[in-house]
Amino acid sequence: MKTKEELKELFQSLLMPELGALFRTALRMTRNREDAEDLVQEAITKAFSAFDRFEEGTNFRAWIFRILTNTFINNYYRVRDKQKLPSLDEMEEDTSFQPAFKGTTPEEALLNTLTKEDILRAIESIPLEFRAVVVLILIEGFSYKDAAEVLGIPIGTVMSRLHRGRKLLQKILWEYSNRKNALKKENGREWTVKRS
Amino acid sequence: MDCEEVVKKLYFYLDHEILTEEERREFEEHLEKCRQCCQKFQFEQQLWRLIRENGLMESIPDTFLNRIENVIARF
Repeated sequence: MKTKEELKELFQSLLMPELGALFRTALRMTRNREDAEDLVQEAITKAFSAFDRFEEGTNFRAWIFRILTNTFINNYYRVRDKQKLPSLDEMEEDTSFQPAFKGTTPEEALLNTLTKEDILRAIESIPLEFRAVVVLILIEGFSYKDAAEVLGIPIGTVMSRLHRGRKLLQKILWEYSNRKNALKKENGREWTVKRS
Repeated sequence: MDCEEVVKKLYFYLDHEILTEEERREFEEHLEKCRQCCQKFQFEQQLWRLIRENGLMESIPDTFLNRIENVIARF
């Protein structure tokens, strides 16, 4: 039986390497810094109060992320945040693409135009069901199995949500890139007209 | 492994999931001889790497770190 001080020390040693990931995940879920900080603090407090029931040697990472996501859903996820789930057809419909300059493939243009802000905005704009798996697996590097444990859903559901999340994210990023490239093209044309 | 199968398994390959060693090898062999699949693979690999790198670029503010250390100290 561990003393409270020993438990606290163990808890801290397991928690600190995960703090960055917890904070980033909370930010992507709440979509604002203040709520993200409160959410992580609340999850940590809950986790410590249940820590005597945590089995040493089992997956602390999945355990604390599960507390974080449950706390988010119970206390932070408001009705107004709920988004209508797009249909698979809506997600997979093609977005037409016009490369801005000759010699640039659409793929190169996409990779070259995206900024950190575009990527984070796109992630935050997808519905929570997909966002959670995208953030856990594609950003934080969770396995499908561990993401299923965190979210309390079957692995097959993780896989289908990840597939749809990816499609949706890609569609949004293509739209951002298309818009930027169209603007660039437009500005280039204006500049040519003014010059002549 | 043919092109259709490679496309179906592309994300599993990138995520290091589901595929057996044998399937990974067949996947790689196909990419070596199919330019179209190889280009698709390289684009997807670069795109998801870019998303991951940018998604990870978020450091914890010092004020928040202090706040958490204080919370733990009070446990």
